[in-house]
Amino acid sequence: MQVLIIEALLLLFLIFVTVCILISKDILACTIIYSAFSFCAVLTYFMFGSPDVAFTEAVIGTMSTIFFVAALKKVDRWCK
Amino acid sequence: MSNESNKMKKSFGGIVLDSSFRIIIPFTLVYGMYILTHGEYSPGGGFQAGALLAVGIVLVRLIQGADKKSFNVPGPIAVVCAGVGTFIYAATGWLTLAGGGMFLDYSFLPVPMHHEAELHALGILLIEIGVTVCVMMTIIDIMDAIIERLDDDKEVDYHE
Amino acid sequence: MTIITALFCACTVFLPTIGDPNSAPNQHVTPYYIENSAVDTGSPNIVTGTLADYRGFDTLWETSVMFVSGLTACLILMANTGEKQQGKKGGKKREQ
Repeated sequence: MQVLIIEALLLLFLIFVTVCILISKDILACTIIYSAFSFCAVLTYFMFGSPDVAFTEAVIGTMSTIFFVAALKKVDRWCK
Repeated sequence: MSNESNKMKKSFGGIVLDSSFRIIIPFTLVYGMYILTHGEYSPGGGFQAGALLAVGIVLVRLIQGADKKSFNVPGPIAVVCAGVGTFIYAATGWLTLAGGGMFLDYSFLPVPMHHEAELHALGILLIEIGVTVCVMMTIIDIMDAIIERLDDDKEVDYHE
Repeated sequence: MTIITALFCACTVFLPTIGDPNSAPNQHVTPYYIENSAVDTGSPNIVTGTLADYRGFDTLWETSVMFVSGLTACLILMANTGEKQQGKKGGKKREQ
């Protein structure tokens, strides 16, 4: 039952983080919140018992955050 | 945003970044090799190992700048190596064909081994090396393209 | 749109429970993999054994798809830099 509660909390937090990304006007903040989303996804995958997928998600989350921040130098930071 | 901050080919490391660089980068690279060679026994495999190695090299490139020759892979060589990684995978399949089996049937690898499972482990290691090289070089490639594009038009005014 | 979303959400009730050993995907070929993977592929990790050995052909084309997509992204980024030197914003400022 405890595991179920943690799963429910993690999934709710995933939805919350996604809504935060959608309504944020600052693209840099979106990128950083996206890395938080990826970390939550890592924890969720661990809960469901698939360390392979969790490891991939951890590495690719780091990687894509670097990519997004590097690409952010090209575009405007604030949504209009 | 000033013009200096856009020259990503130059190093922007201070003393903190340089010190942490010396600790983190060797750990990342060695851990990537561990994930690659130990992928059959623990979580991991070719994709994760390639991404870890690429993270190591991209961090080197971010902290020390792309001019440094240490741990650096130039862009054209990265493109060629990504193709070579895919070729290693396919070449393993052709090796099993040459050994008399079906495509990617590792029992027919032309290597003297005692047990069939050892042949399978060797085949898995070979194709994981291929996947690792492909993923690592692809990620380095995309990073290279992004950074070159940034350097190319760094005179653009960003906040008009 | 809302009705479609509600329909999709309602359909999740009929999905099998997570980790249910009697559900349809866990009946067909999974027990064979779980029992024989260590002997067949020589690796105790079932995920690696399945990805690299039983489904090796899929992984080959997965790798080549990754290579081609990376190449395409690289080419698109490079092509835009080339056009910008002649044309729009960056080119004009470089000429001055």
